[in-house]
Amino acid sequence: MKAQNVVVRRTDMQGAAWRWIEAAAGMLAPWEREVVLGDLAETDRGAWRGLRDVLGLASRRQLALWWNWRPWAASLGLALPASLFLMGCSLAASAAVAGFLGEPAQAHLLWIPLSRLLLVISWAWTAGFVVGAVSRRTLWASVLACCAPCLYCLLKWPGHGFSGAQLLIFVLPGLWGVWRGQRDLRLSLRWAFLLAGTAALVPVMWNNGGWYGCWLLWPGWYLAATARRRPESTANN
Amino acid sequence: MIGEFEYVILSAAAHLGEGAYGAAMRDVIESTGGRTCSLGALYTTLDRLEAKGLVETWMSEPTQQRGGRARRMVRVTGKGIRAAREFYQAVIQISRGTVWGESKRSRLPGDPA
Repeated sequence: MKAQNVVVRRTDMQGAAWRWIEAAAGMLAPWEREVVLGDLAETDRGAWRGLRDVLGLASRRQLALWWNWRPWAASLGLALPASLFLMGCSLAASAAVAGFLGEPAQAHLLWIPLSRLLLVISWAWTAGFVVGAVSRRTLWASVLACCAPCLYCLLKWPGHGFSGAQLLIFVLPGLWGVWRGQRDLRLSLRWAFLLAGTAALVPVMWNNGGWYGCWLLWPGWYLAATARRRPESTANN
Repeated sequence: MIGEFEYVILSAAAHLGEGAYGAAMRDVIESTGGRTCSLGALYTTLDRLEAKGLVETWMSEPTQQRGGRARRMVRVTGKGIRAAREFYQAVIQISRGTVWGESKRSRLPGDPA
Protein backbone atom coordinates (compact mmCIF):
# COMPACT_ATOMS: atom_id res chain seq x y z
CA MET A 1 0.00 0.00 0.00
CA LYS A 2 1.43 3.36 -0.98
CA ALA A 3 1.16 6.60 0.97
CA GLN A 4 -1.51 8.02 -1.31
CA ASN A 5 -3.75 5.06 -0.47
CA VAL A 6 -3.57 5.78 3.23
CA VAL A 7 -6.66 7.60 4.41
CA VAL A 8 -5.44 11.08 5.21
CA ARG A 9 -7.73 13.42 7.00
CA ARG A 10 -6.89 17.05 6.46
CA THR A 11 -7.47 18.77 9.70
CA ASP A 12 -7.78 22.34 10.77
CA MET A 13 -6.38 21.86 14.20
CA GLN A 14 -6.86 25.25 15.65
CA GLY A 15 -7.79 26.84 18.89
CA ALA A 16 -6.47 26.37 22.37
CA ALA A 17 -5.80 22.65 22.05
CA TRP A 18 -3.58 23.07 19.03
CA ARG A 19 -1.72 25.91 20.74
CA TRP A 20 -1.03 23.59 23.66
CA ILE A 21 0.28 20.98 21.28
CA GLU A 22 2.51 23.51 19.55
CA ALA A 23 3.79 24.75 22.90
CA ALA A 24 4.58 21.18 24.00
CA ALA A 25 6.31 20.55 20.68
CA GLY A 26 8.71 23.35 21.61
CA MET A 27 10.51 20.73 23.72
CA LEU A 28 11.47 18.84 20.56
CA ALA A 29 14.31 19.59 18.17
CA PRO A 30 13.19 21.96 15.37
CA TRP A 31 13.33 19.32 12.61
CA GLU A 32 11.41 16.81 14.71
CA ARG A 33 8.86 19.41 15.75
CA GLU A 34 8.10 20.00 12.09
CA VAL A 35 7.70 16.29 11.40
CA VAL A 36 5.50 15.60 14.41
CA LEU A 37 3.24 18.62 13.97
CA GLY A 38 2.91 17.69 10.31
CA ASP A 39 1.92 14.15 11.23
CA LEU A 40 -0.65 15.42 13.71
CA ALA A 41 -2.06 17.94 11.25
CA GLU A 42 -2.33 15.26 8.61
CA THR A 43 -4.04 12.62 10.71
CA ASP A 44 -6.40 14.21 13.15
CA ARG A 45 -6.62 11.93 16.17
CA GLY A 46 -7.96 14.59 18.50
CA ALA A 47 -6.25 17.17 20.64
CA TRP A 48 -5.76 14.96 23.67
CA ARG A 49 -4.12 12.19 21.66
CA GLY A 50 -1.96 14.74 19.88
CA LEU A 51 -0.82 16.28 23.14
CA ARG A 52 -0.09 12.84 24.57
CA ASP A 53 1.93 11.98 21.46
CA VAL A 54 4.05 15.11 21.68
CA LEU A 55 4.60 14.85 25.44
CA GLY A 56 5.40 11.15 25.13
CA LEU A 57 8.00 11.75 22.45
CA ALA A 58 9.53 14.69 24.36
CA SER A 59 9.76 12.54 27.53
CA ARG A 60 11.42 9.71 25.63
CA ARG A 61 13.91 12.13 24.10
CA GLN A 62 14.75 13.58 27.52
CA LEU A 63 15.11 10.13 29.09
CA ALA A 64 17.42 9.06 26.26
CA LEU A 65 19.72 12.00 27.04
CA TRP A 66 20.25 10.67 30.56
CA TRP A 67 21.93 7.52 29.28
CA ASN A 68 24.93 9.72 28.59
CA TRP A 69 27.41 10.95 31.23
CA ARG A 70 27.00 14.59 30.24
CA PRO A 71 23.72 15.53 32.00
CA TRP A 72 24.89 13.80 35.19
CA ALA A 73 28.24 15.56 35.10
CA ALA A 74 26.64 18.95 34.44
CA SER A 75 23.87 18.76 37.05
CA LEU A 76 25.00 16.54 39.93
CA GLY A 77 28.72 16.67 39.14
CA LEU A 78 29.03 20.42 38.79
CA ALA A 79 25.90 22.57 39.27
CA LEU A 80 25.02 21.13 42.69
CA PRO A 81 28.50 21.15 44.33
CA ALA A 82 29.33 24.47 42.66
CA SER A 83 26.17 26.01 44.06
CA LEU A 84 27.04 24.92 47.60
CA PHE A 85 30.66 26.01 47.25
CA LEU A 86 29.84 29.37 45.66
CA MET A 87 27.33 30.19 48.37
CA GLY A 88 30.09 29.77 50.91
CA CYS A 89 32.49 31.81 48.80
CA SER A 90 29.96 34.60 48.31
CA LEU A 91 29.37 34.77 52.06
CA ALA A 92 33.10 34.93 52.74
CA ALA A 93 33.77 37.50 50.02
CA SER A 94 30.90 39.77 51.04
CA ALA A 95 31.90 39.46 54.71
CA ALA A 96 35.42 40.54 53.75
CA VAL A 97 34.05 43.53 51.83
CA ALA A 98 31.78 44.44 54.76
CA GLY A 99 34.77 44.15 57.11
CA PHE A 100 36.77 46.49 54.95
CA LEU A 101 33.93 49.02 54.75
CA GLY A 102 33.66 48.88 58.54
CA GLU A 103 37.33 49.71 58.92
CA PRO A 104 38.34 51.97 56.00
CA ALA A 105 41.67 52.63 57.69
CA GLN A 106 42.91 49.29 56.40
CA ALA A 107 42.73 50.36 52.78
CA HIS A 108 46.00 48.62 52.00
CA LEU A 109 44.20 45.32 52.60
CA LEU A 110 41.55 46.10 49.98
CA TRP A 111 43.08 43.61 47.54
CA ILE A 112 41.99 40.67 49.71
CA PRO A 113 38.19 41.11 49.44
CA LEU A 114 38.51 42.30 45.86
CA SER A 115 40.56 39.31 44.79
CA ARG A 116 38.05 37.01 46.47
CA LEU A 117 35.18 38.65 44.66
CA LEU A 118 37.00 38.36 41.35
CA LEU A 119 37.75 34.70 42.03
CA VAL A 120 34.10 33.98 42.82
CA ILE A 121 32.99 35.75 39.65
CA SER A 122 35.55 34.04 37.40
CA TRP A 123 34.93 30.59 38.88
CA ALA A 124 31.15 31.03 38.60
CA TRP A 125 31.60 32.02 34.95
CA THR A 126 33.86 29.02 34.34
CA ALA A 127 31.43 26.60 36.00
CA GLY A 128 28.51 28.13 34.08
CA PHE A 129 30.38 27.84 30.81
CA VAL A 130 31.14 24.17 31.41
CA VAL A 131 27.53 23.42 32.43
CA GLY A 132 26.26 25.10 29.26
CA ALA A 133 28.82 23.40 27.02
CA VAL A 134 28.60 19.89 28.51
CA SER A 135 24.85 19.44 28.43
CA ARG A 136 22.82 21.97 26.54
CA ARG A 137 19.60 20.01 26.26
CA THR A 138 19.34 19.16 29.96
CA LEU A 139 20.06 22.65 31.17
CA TRP A 140 16.83 22.63 33.15
CA ALA A 141 18.25 19.90 35.41
CA SER A 142 21.46 21.85 36.01
CA VAL A 143 19.47 24.99 36.81
CA LEU A 144 17.37 22.97 39.24
CA ALA A 145 20.46 21.46 40.87
CA CYS A 146 21.95 24.93 41.26
CA CYS A 147 18.81 26.71 42.45
CA ALA A 148 17.57 24.12 44.94
CA PRO A 149 20.33 24.67 47.57
CA CYS A 150 20.18 28.45 47.09
CA LEU A 151 16.41 28.57 47.57
CA TYR A 152 16.67 26.23 50.54
CA CYS A 153 19.18 28.51 52.25
CA LEU A 154 17.22 31.66 51.45
CA LEU A 155 14.00 30.18 52.81
CA LYS A 156 15.56 28.40 55.76
CA TRP A 157 17.45 31.41 57.07
CA PRO A 158 15.65 34.52 55.78
CA GLY A 159 17.52 37.66 56.72
CA HIS A 160 20.41 35.75 58.21
CA GLY A 161 23.64 34.74 56.62
CA PHE A 162 22.82 34.21 53.00
CA SER A 163 20.95 37.00 51.21
CA GLY A 164 19.62 37.61 47.74
CA ALA A 165 22.36 40.13 46.96
CA GLN A 166 25.07 37.58 47.83
CA LEU A 167 23.29 35.13 45.56
CA LEU A 168 23.64 37.54 42.65
CA ILE A 169 27.44 37.65 43.06
CA PHE A 170 27.74 34.23 41.48
CA VAL A 171 24.37 33.68 39.78
CA LEU A 172 24.78 36.48 37.25
CA PRO A 173 28.31 35.51 36.10
CA GLY A 174 27.18 31.88 36.15
CA LEU A 175 24.25 32.62 33.85
CA TRP A 176 26.52 34.60 31.57
CA GLY A 177 28.89 31.63 31.46
CA VAL A 178 26.02 29.25 30.66
CA TRP A 179 24.93 31.46 27.78
CA ARG A 180 28.46 31.58 26.37
CA GLY A 181 28.98 27.86 26.92
CA GLN A 182 25.84 27.00 25.01
CA ARG A 183 26.84 29.28 22.19
CA ASP A 184 30.58 28.67 21.88
CA LEU A 185 31.11 25.18 23.41
CA ARG A 186 34.88 25.76 23.53
CA LEU A 187 37.26 28.58 24.40
CA SER A 188 40.53 29.58 22.84
CA LEU A 189 43.57 27.93 24.41
CA ARG A 190 44.79 31.14 26.01
CA TRP A 191 41.46 31.92 27.73
CA ALA A 192 40.96 28.31 28.73
CA PHE A 193 44.33 28.12 30.49
CA LEU A 194 43.82 31.50 32.13
CA LEU A 195 40.45 30.46 33.55
CA ALA A 196 41.72 26.99 34.48
CA GLY A 197 44.62 28.59 36.37
CA THR A 198 42.27 30.98 38.14
CA ALA A 199 39.85 28.17 38.94
CA ALA A 200 42.71 26.22 40.52
CA LEU A 201 43.20 29.03 43.03
CA VAL A 202 39.59 29.04 44.22
CA PRO A 203 39.57 25.90 46.41
CA VAL A 204 42.98 26.85 47.80
CA MET A 205 41.83 30.36 48.68
CA TRP A 206 38.90 29.06 50.75
CA ASN A 207 40.85 26.21 52.35
CA ASN A 208 38.58 23.69 50.71
CA GLY A 209 41.23 21.11 50.14
CA GLY A 210 40.84 17.36 49.99
CA TRP A 211 38.55 15.58 47.59
CA TYR A 212 35.99 18.36 47.47
CA GLY A 213 38.61 20.90 46.45
CA CYS A 214 40.06 18.57 43.82
CA TRP A 215 36.60 17.87 42.47
CA LEU A 216 35.99 21.59 41.97
CA LEU A 217 39.01 21.77 39.68
CA TRP A 218 37.42 19.73 36.92
CA PRO A 219 35.64 22.60 35.11
CA GLY A 220 39.04 24.22 34.59
CA TRP A 221 40.57 20.98 33.32
CA TYR A 222 37.61 20.49 31.04
CA LEU A 223 38.07 23.96 29.54
CA ALA A 224 41.78 23.32 28.99
CA ALA A 225 41.20 19.86 27.51
CA THR A 226 38.54 21.01 25.06
CA ALA A 227 40.12 24.35 24.12
CA ARG A 228 40.54 25.27 20.48
CA ARG A 229 44.14 24.57 19.48
CA ARG A 230 43.91 26.68 16.36
CA PRO A 231 42.23 29.98 15.52
CA GLU A 232 38.53 29.63 14.63
CA SER A 233 38.95 30.47 10.96
CA THR A 234 41.65 27.79 10.46
CA ALA A 235 39.78 25.18 12.50
CA ASN A 236 36.66 25.60 10.40
CA ASN A 237 38.46 25.08 7.12
CA MET B 1 18.05 -10.07 16.62
CA ILE B 2 15.51 -7.27 16.36
CA GLY B 3 12.61 -6.88 18.77
CA GLU B 4 8.93 -7.36 18.09
CA PHE B 5 8.09 -3.68 17.71
CA GLU B 6 11.14 -3.13 15.53
CA TYR B 7 9.83 -5.90 13.30
CA VAL B 8 6.40 -4.23 13.18
CA ILE B 9 8.02 -0.93 12.11
CA LEU B 10 10.16 -2.63 9.45
CA SER B 11 7.10 -4.45 8.13
CA ALA B 12 5.04 -1.25 7.95
CA ALA B 13 7.87 0.58 6.16
CA ALA B 14 8.37 -2.27 3.70
CA HIS B 15 4.60 -2.45 3.16
CA LEU B 16 4.39 1.25 2.28
CA GLY B 17 7.45 1.17 0.06
CA GLU B 18 8.35 4.57 -1.39
CA GLY B 19 5.58 6.25 0.59
CA ALA B 20 6.75 5.20 4.05
CA TYR B 21 6.77 8.02 6.60
CA GLY B 22 5.69 8.49 10.22
CA ALA B 23 1.96 9.19 9.94
CA ALA B 24 1.40 6.62 7.18
CA MET B 25 3.31 3.94 9.09
CA ARG B 26 1.32 4.63 12.22
CA ASP B 27 -1.88 4.35 10.24
CA VAL B 28 -0.81 0.95 8.87
CA ILE B 29 0.27 -0.32 12.29
CA GLU B 30 -2.98 0.76 13.93
CA SER B 31 -5.36 -0.31 11.18
CA THR B 32 -3.68 -3.57 10.17
CA GLY B 33 -1.91 -4.51 13.36
CA GLY B 34 -4.86 -3.69 15.59
CA ARG B 35 -2.75 -1.93 18.17
CA THR B 36 -2.24 1.66 19.19
CA CYS B 37 1.07 3.20 18.28
CA SER B 38 2.30 6.44 19.81
CA LEU B 39 4.49 8.80 17.83
CA GLY B 40 7.03 8.60 20.66
CA ALA B 41 7.37 4.84 20.31
CA LEU B 42 7.42 5.09 16.52
CA TYR B 43 10.12 7.73 16.22
CA THR B 44 12.39 6.46 18.99
CA THR B 45 12.25 2.98 17.45
CA LEU B 46 12.97 4.46 14.04
CA ASP B 47 16.04 6.19 15.49
CA ARG B 48 17.24 2.89 16.92
CA LEU B 49 16.70 1.09 13.63
CA GLU B 50 18.56 3.84 11.79
CA ALA B 51 21.46 3.61 14.24
CA LYS B 52 21.62 -0.12 13.55
CA GLY B 53 21.62 0.56 9.81
CA LEU B 54 18.30 -1.24 9.26
CA VAL B 55 16.49 1.80 7.83
CA GLU B 56 17.40 5.09 6.21
CA THR B 57 15.43 8.26 6.86
CA TRP B 58 15.41 11.67 5.24
CA MET B 59 13.27 14.78 5.17
CA SER B 60 10.88 15.27 2.27
CA GLU B 61 9.83 18.55 0.75
CA PRO B 62 7.16 20.40 2.76
CA THR B 63 3.61 19.65 1.63
CA GLN B 64 0.47 21.76 1.72
CA GLN B 65 -1.45 18.79 3.10
CA ARG B 66 0.60 19.04 6.29
CA GLY B 67 0.42 22.79 6.66
CA GLY B 68 3.72 23.32 4.84
CA ARG B 69 5.63 20.84 6.96
CA ALA B 70 8.06 18.15 5.85
CA ARG B 71 7.77 14.38 6.30
CA ARG B 72 10.38 12.03 7.69
CA MET B 73 10.58 9.47 4.92
CA VAL B 74 11.73 5.92 5.68
CA ARG B 75 13.36 3.24 3.56
CA VAL B 76 14.27 -0.27 4.72
CA THR B 77 17.89 -1.16 3.87
CA GLY B 78 19.15 -4.54 2.70
CA LYS B 79 20.40 -5.21 6.20
CA GLY B 80 16.93 -4.34 7.53
CA ILE B 81 15.28 -6.77 5.13
CA ARG B 82 17.63 -9.55 6.27
CA ALA B 83 16.99 -8.75 9.94
CA ALA B 84 13.20 -8.76 9.42
CA ARG B 85 13.39 -12.03 7.51
CA GLU B 86 15.51 -13.58 10.26
CA PHE B 87 12.98 -12.50 12.90
CA TYR B 88 10.09 -13.82 10.83
CA GLN B 89 11.84 -17.17 10.31
CA ALA B 90 12.53 -17.44 14.03
CA VAL B 91 8.86 -16.80 14.86
CA ILE B 92 7.77 -19.40 12.29
CA GLN B 93 10.31 -21.90 13.66
CA ILE B 94 9.36 -21.44 17.29
CA SER B 95 5.64 -21.55 16.45
CA ARG B 96 5.86 -24.79 14.48
CA GLY B 97 3.78 -27.45 16.17
CA THR B 98 2.36 -25.01 18.66
CA VAL B 99 -1.39 -25.11 19.19
CA TRP B 100 -2.89 -21.92 20.53
CA GLY B 101 -6.05 -23.47 21.87
CA GLU B 102 -8.36 -22.71 24.75
CA SER B 103 -6.28 -24.63 27.26
CA LYS B 104 -4.60 -22.68 30.06
CA ARG B 105 -1.16 -23.48 28.76
CA SER B 106 -0.39 -24.01 25.12
CA ARG B 107 1.96 -26.73 23.96
CA LEU B 108 5.41 -25.81 22.76
CA PRO B 109 7.77 -27.99 20.73
CA GLY B 110 9.55 -30.36 23.10
CA ASP B 111 6.77 -30.33 25.69
CA PRO B 112 5.53 -33.78 26.76
CA ALA B 113 2.29 -34.67 25.04
